[in-house]
This record gives sequence, C-alpha cells and structure tokens, in this order.
Amino acid sequence: MTPIEAFERARRRSAVWIGVGLLLMAAVYVRALVFTPVEAVQGLAQKIFYIHVPSAWVAFLAFGILGVTSAVYLFLKDPRVDLFAASTAEVAMVFTTAVLVTGPIWGKPIWGTWWTWDARLTLTLFLWFVVLGYLVLRTAVHEPGQRARYSAVLGILGALLVPFIHVSVYLFRTMHPMPVVLRPGKPTLPGAMLATLLFSFAVFTLFFVALLWHRYALARLADARARAEAERADA
Amino acid sequence: MGELLRAAWAIAAKDVLLEFRSRTAFVSALVFTALVLAIFNFARDPTAVSAVDLAPGILWITFTFAAMLGLNRAFGLERENRALDGLLLSPASRTAIYLGKVLANLVFVGSVEAIALPLFALFFNVPILPVLGPLVLVIALATVGFVAVGTLMSSMAVNTRLAELMLPVLLLPFLVPPVTAAVQMTARLFAGRPFSEVSAWLRLLVGYDIVFVAACILFFESTIEE
Amino acid sequence: MPDNGGFTVAAYIAAAVIYLGYAIYLVRGGRAKG
Repeated sequence: MTPIEAFERARRRSAVWIGVGLLLMAAVYVRALVFTPVEAVQGLAQKIFYIHVPSAWVAFLAFGILGVTSAVYLFLKDPRVDLFAASTAEVAMVFTTAVLVTGPIWGKPIWGTWWTWDARLTLTLFLWFVVLGYLVLRTAVHEPGQRARYSAVLGILGALLVPFIHVSVYLFRTMHPMPVVLRPGKPTLPGAMLATLLFSFAVFTLFFVALLWHRYALARLADARARAEAERADA
Repeated sequence: MGELLRAAWAIAAKDVLLEFRSRTAFVSALVFTALVLAIFNFARDPTAVSAVDLAPGILWITFTFAAMLGLNRAFGLERENRALDGLLLSPASRTAIYLGKVLANLVFVGSVEAIALPLFALFFNVPILPVLGPLVLVIALATVGFVAVGTLMSSMAVNTRLAELMLPVLLLPFLVPPVTAAVQMTARLFAGRPFSEVSAWLRLLVGYDIVFVAACILFFESTIEE
Repeated sequence: MPDNGGFTVAAYIAAAVIYLGYAIYLVRGGRAKG
C-alpha cells in the first residue's frame, strides 16, 4: 500500500469514528437535558456544566499534547511530529473556543455576569490566544522546516506559560476576592449527575481522538501529495 | 564564557550605536509615551477616579507599548540587506547573538522607561521618589522578562509577512504574568504599602524571568538555524 | 428555581454548531494543508 493509500484509509476510518463521536455527543445531549435531574439552586442553566467542563478538559489535554509534541519535534526534527503538533493545535482551537463560548453563557445566569476573571476561564482565554498565535504563525511561514521549528518553539513556550498564568490569576484572586453570588464550585455531585458528567468526559475524549486522527491523516495526505508533485516536477 | 559575553557586548554595542545614530525608533517611542500619558489624563474624570488608582496600569501599558516599538526594530535592522547572514557567519555563537540583541533592546526600552517614569510622575502627580528603589527593581525585573521573550518572538516575527502585526499576536499572552505582577507591585508601592506584602508577586516575576530567559536562550538557536 | 432554560438551550446549540461544524469541515477535506 502506498503512503497515500494508507492515509486515505486512515482518513476514511477516522471519519467513521467522527460519526460515532457525533452520535455519542447526541446521546450526551439527550442524557444531560432529559434524563439528568435539574439542580435545585441553579436551575436548568447548571446543565451547561455537562458540556462546558468536558470541553475544558479536552482543551487542556490537547494543549498539553501540543506542548509535548513541540518538544519532541525540536528533539527529533521529524516532520511527521510537526504535522501532528499542527493537527493538535487546530483541534485544540475548536475545543478551546467551545469553552469560551459556553463559559459566559453559563456565567450570565449563574454569576450574573457574562465574564469573570476566574482561574479557569482566564487561563483558557490566554491559551486561546497562544493557540491562535501558533496557527497564525504557521500560515505566515512558508518554508516547512522553518515553520516546524518556529511552531515548536512557540508550542513549548506556550506550555511553559500555563503555570505562570495560573499563579497570576490565583494571586490576583486572593487579593481581590470576587463577590460570590452563586458559586458552582465543586459540590459533591449526586450519582445521576456524576454519571452524566463521566459519560460526557468519555464521549468528548473519544470525539477529540477521532478528530485529531482525521486531521493528522489530512495533514499527512497533503504533505504526501505535495511531495509527489515535487517529484513529478523534478522528473 | 568570556568569549560569549564579549561577542554579546559587541553585538549589543553595534545595535545601540546604530539606533543612536538614527534615533527614529527611540524618538517615536518617546512621543508615543508622552501621547499616551496625555490622553489618559484627558480620558478620566479626575473627581471620580484618583490618579493613583489608574496610575500603575497606565504606566505599564505605556512601557509595554514602548517595548513593542523597540522590539519591532530589533531584527528589522538585520533583515534589510540580509545582514543577519553576516552576523551568522561571524564567530559569534547563536547565544551571543541572542544576548547581544536582548542587551540592545534592554538599553532601548530602559532609556524610554527612564524618561517616561519622571514624565509620568509629573503628569499624574504620583510620589515615586519615596519608593524609587523598589520601583526601579520592579521595572527592571519585569522589563528583563518581556524583553527576553520579546526578542525571541521578534526573531521569528521578522521573517513573516506581517511582522509588525505578528509580534503583538505572539507576544501578548506572554506578557500577562510579568506585567500583572509589575502592576500589582507598582500599585502597592504607590499606596505606600510595605514591600513585603508583594513578596508573592515578586517571586512570580523572578520565577518567570529565570524560566523564560533560560528557555529563550535554549530555543533561540532554533529560530535562526538555516 | 430560576427560569434560565434559555441559556441552556443557547449553550447547547452553540456547542453543537462548533463541534458539528468542525467535524463537517474536516470530513469534507478541510483545506489541504500541513
């Protein structure tokens, strides 16, 4: 099987899994909206939690993978690792955006304000900017080797930034306590809600893996085709 | 080690000399600073908001933008006439080039800050003399942090088409910890609080400097490899 | 209990648009890129 055929097969298979992921997402929706009890104090809006929190988990996971693969690239200089990192960044962007969209929609009814500089949301915002910078940088550099190196440097520096932003927000919050209207916090979840949340975590993770796999296959395909073009042009 | 420092010094001296001769970036940074200070003054209602409340934020926004102007210039010099190739062919190591650039940028940004600070004290009537020592320390530490990262970012940004736009996009998230720490510490100092109150922020800032200066030295090589 | 179901609907729809939108974009080939 030629490389292009192998990647085409990966593309088809991962597309099936994306479909599976979407169906399971629908199942999460149904379960969260219909079959999970409504929280007494926060009301229906609390259900946004079942979409928002797993999205955040995946976003941070993806960002972590981005950091690690960036470091691996600088070490190995393997272009496939670079393509994997770039794929991870794009998928990370999607999940991070979902966190930043669902967060304020949840915040408004619960905290009374669209935005609050709370730890997770603030960190997510800055990760969003770092990933955006990463993706924009990639479009702005044309030579593949240089693009890979620049991306890797940015990826590692971005990963290093995370603890510092976290500490900054934490220090800021301890010195400027926000008025607490209703804090969703981490109360112990009753069984049915916990089950829904865990189910959602599993589905989101699976969906992430399927998307990443497919995106990577696309990247390898594009790369293999470009190489084949170049060889034909030389011949 | 001595070799490294001497090479870095030579590179820094060259850049500073070049900048001193043309002075364009320096003057525009100063003009910008004065403008920002004046505009902020007219933007607020003096009866509603006291200068001291806004002052730290304004000061650091000013410093950050001035730094950005200087950083844009940093590799721009080498980009014209492909002078960077000449630099790379010289016996100076990549690290020396990086340190030299950082040093030159520090001189640039530091000079703007040195002029902006008294202007700021004047326009906003903020008592900086009693806390000058700690204030200068805070300014120095924060500046080292964002110049170190900024120099690395500009070495990448300069090779992209929209370099002046790319630099802020890449750099701004990285400015959050040092600038937040600097603003918080500056605010405490202006309020006459004891410096010990801000030790946590100080540790954050110092930690940031150590981690990012080390990381940038390590990774600079990867940004100008041919 | 507060009447905030509208927010829930908005958030769930927004998330669906983002995720479904991206999935469709990818499966249709995205833009051939590296």
